Amino acid sequence: MKFAIALFSAAHAPSSRRALLFAKAALAGGHEIVRLFFYQDGVYSASNAIVTPQDEQDIARQWRELVSAHQLDGVVCIAAALRRGVLNHEEATRYQRSAVNLEAPWALSGLGQLHDAAQAADRLICFGGP
Amino acid sequence: MSTLHVISHSPFTDSRLESCLRICGSEDAILLCGDGAYGLHAPALLTRGVKVFVLAEDMLARNLPLPDWADSVDYPGFVQLSIDYDKVNSWL
Amino acid sequence: MAKSLLVISRQAPWSGPSAREALDIVLAGGAFDLPIGLLLLDDGVFQLAPHQDAKAVQQKDLSANLQALGLFGIDDVFACSHSLAARGLVHSTLAQPLDSAAITQLIDRYDQVITL
Repeated sequence: MKFAIALFSAAHAPSSRRALLFAKAALAGGHEIVRLFFYQDGVYSASNAIVTPQDEQDIARQWRELVSAHQLDGVVCIAAALRRGVLNHEEATRYQRSAVNLEAPWALSGLGQLHDAAQAADRLICFGGP
Repeated sequence: MSTLHVISHSPFTDSRLESCLRICGSEDAILLCGDGAYGLHAPALLTRGVKVFVLAEDMLARNLPLPDWADSVDYPGFVQLSIDYDKVNSWL
Repeated sequence: MAKSLLVISRQAPWSGPSAREALDIVLAGGAFDLPIGLLLLDDGVFQLAPHQDAKAVQQKDLSANLQALGLFGIDDVFACSHSLAARGLVHSTLAQPLDSAAITQLIDRYDQVITL
């Protein structure tokens, strides 16, 4: 089965961890993840600036590791990201902001990528809220 | 077509479960996860007669007993449910 | 054949960016000529309330986006009649009212759904 997984919540939300564990279970079950698309507060789950206490789960780091390890297509919605101050180097330069908190393996792109993934996948699964 | 509805808000503070129960179909199922697991205490679920699943870790974390009208699933089970049902509707 | 997507918007117009971001998903789909529907449910029906003044809270007027849906080829716009009645709203010409049973059937007709 091909899954498109959309995440709408930040790394500290239980639903971000839940989406991560769902993604891992899908891959372990031999399924394919067509794309991860982070929208609304989901863009925060791709931030590289998050500092997690050592005795807590670093979900943002685990997302990065999952995307890298399985060479997944990890896309962050550019409009949602800009509105929330999640910027890659290009956007930080464009808007003259001092912080870059989005880097590889994440790519910034538009909502067309969400629709493209939904069309390519057998199942579209969204995670968000608590 | 059957839909797996996913609820992660507590039904005691939020109206998502109530709205879901109003519009879900007879072939649909509801997966309770996160604070949605507290729905195991919600009498409305039992009376509606729709199939109910709960994510095991959330039930365990909250020390909620599993009633006989619900089934618990782990993450591989969650993945399988998303395949068994024609689509997934997460009430974000 | 393209998969169809129903976006269910449950948030009031200015409770954060959710209502606008739900519309953005719909409009983006329309721009790609995809079969997209929009259902306003629960507080989402407040997006249809008449004579709202977005400027009073320094927000953007979403009703313009709703009115533009037709221009993007999105004609399937619905509102939950139960939600409208519970909030004392009469139905708007922008959205076709549906009762709960009709909404059950509506969701069944779409291949995918996003509820936000």
